[in-house]
Amino acid sequence: MNLIVIGLNHRSAPVEVRERLAFAKTALAEAHTRLLGANPVHEVVILSTCNRVEIYALADNIRDASCAVRQFLHDHHGLTERVDSHLYEHRDDSCIRHLLEVACGIDSMVLGETEIFGQVKDAYSLAQDAGTTGVVLNRVFQKVFSAAKHVRSTTAIARGSTSVGTVAVDLAEKIFGKLPKCTVMVIGTGEMSAATARALQSRGAGAILVCSRAQERGEALAVQLQGRAISYDQWPNEFPGVDIVISSTAAPHPIVTREKLGPLMKLRGRRPLFLIDIAVPRDVERSCEELENVYLYDIDDLQQIAEENRAAREREIANCQTLIDQHVRRLAEWLENNRAAVEDRYRQRVTGSPVADPAHPQIS
Amino acid sequence: MNGDRIFLWLAQVFYATSCVVTLRRLRAAGAGPELQRANYAAMACGFAFHTVFLYLRGHALGRCPLTNLFETQAFITWAAVLFFLLIGPSYRVSFLGAFTAPLVLVICLAALLSPVDVAGSAPPNHSPWIEFHAAIAVLACGAFALAFVTGGMYLFQERQLKTRRLTSSFLLLPSIEQLDVIHFRLLIMGFGMLTVGMAGGIVSYHIVGHWTIPKIIWASSVWTLYGAVVAARGLWALRGRKVAVASMASFTVMLVGFWGVNLLQR
Repeated sequence: MNLIVIGLNHRSAPVEVRERLAFAKTALAEAHTRLLGANPVHEVVILSTCNRVEIYALADNIRDASCAVRQFLHDHHGLTERVDSHLYEHRDDSCIRHLLEVACGIDSMVLGETEIFGQVKDAYSLAQDAGTTGVVLNRVFQKVFSAAKHVRSTTAIARGSTSVGTVAVDLAEKIFGKLPKCTVMVIGTGEMSAATARALQSRGAGAILVCSRAQERGEALAVQLQGRAISYDQWPNEFPGVDIVISSTAAPHPIVTREKLGPLMKLRGRRPLFLIDIAVPRDVERSCEELENVYLYDIDDLQQIAEENRAAREREIANCQTLIDQHVRRLAEWLENNRAAVEDRYRQRVTGSPVADPAHPQIS
Repeated sequence: MNGDRIFLWLAQVFYATSCVVTLRRLRAAGAGPELQRANYAAMACGFAFHTVFLYLRGHALGRCPLTNLFETQAFITWAAVLFFLLIGPSYRVSFLGAFTAPLVLVICLAALLSPVDVAGSAPPNHSPWIEFHAAIAVLACGAFALAFVTGGMYLFQERQLKTRRLTSSFLLLPSIEQLDVIHFRLLIMGFGMLTVGMAGGIVSYHIVGHWTIPKIIWASSVWTLYGAVVAARGLWALRGRKVAVASMASFTVMLVGFWGVNLLQR
């Protein structure tokens, strides 16, 4: 009785291969039951995200199971050529370790990201609903969830943001606390400024104003962000009520100068102002940072913080591995101790012999 | 009456434990909620022993334990921890304890290690007004001590934001806006209590009929200082940084002046 995972991820396969092997959400439940019904496996969980497709299975004969799962992948997606060179395979301890690394975000493209944890959870509950999990995968997945939580909360693997947009959100939250009371002004309609505004919005930022020299584009972005478009000359008038400014115009000279900002700051009382300047050449004069209550970050500042956070996460991998080792050892021990009992149970199911035989070992 | 000091020492052990927990929290960088709980538990245990000390001392004296410099410092720090225990969880100010514990530890250790625990001269006509006035003034000092702590946190966090050099504690500390608001609330609370305490002092002067000039000068300057800070923040919209500096300076003046006045009296 062995655990096996066969799959591919962003490192082992290019997107052209990954997209062909991805499972449609609607077809997942059926795929679970099909794989279990026609193949020499006892339990199955399929994890399919944009960066990975993995099939976790419990089987008597690992070689047969490996062939069957590979064949299933090819058949299910109607592939004409083999993709085996892109597939990786882990067994038993190393399968548990892989699942735990995936759940912790260590195996992700963005190291330590937390979205994958929810995706693994969803995959497991879908398999559970489809009735393709059993005593072993139930145990393994549930223990992996609590282990992953433990790893994430006791190490810094998920700490600090690693993209420009989320770094800006972190900073905004450390200035203003909660964001719903904050008004955001977007000057210019670059893709990066829209992404940053969206990141702020996703954490609950309040009203959004969009101001652009090209009025049509400004209005289009305002519709996208469910904000209000204002004309370019109007921004100083709106300024006293704005808390966060995201600037990304193509202007060759600074548009927010210290001279302009000084008097405007006086109208704001003691409210701080967060200036996010992602334009190159820069839109905000550097000397604005000397004004009290002004917090100015340009694209390099944000990128540097994101880079530092990424480096800090990478330094945490060793700490994570130490914890992961402990959790894997515990789960592997359980699997070893109960191997006979599990094998027995599945044999009974196949032969149909009665379960209540005191001679049979119990699963602890 | 010195047997009770052991309890104050025990309290220091827990405050020191809290400091160690904080260092671990920074080093581990995991922001573990269990470490935050451990920190709070250590402060609560320290507070319990601190209370036992004040109770025993008060019981032995038969009055509020504010008869000498040593007792007063123990009382002020007790009040500061009390405010921390009340404010920390209700406003969800993470890391407040990390800054409170060292301040309390330093003031208490200074009191424990210096020869200021001598029998004070009890006023001839004992009046409950004196105790009320002293106790509420000391509670005000506790609020100011915690305002000092939040002011320090504000300056630290603001500096990180302004200079764009973020340390590992950046994400653990609260936002400057939250710190500014709590800081102001503590100032108002402290100032309100100080005002009541001063009024109590005037009443007790009329009953007891004796006063000391240095103490009156000290008390009125502290009242004026904090009054100015509260007014500047509340009425003239003075910015966060300046308010934090002013409040921290006022606390320092208060503490130094307090030592001075008491040494003068001796």
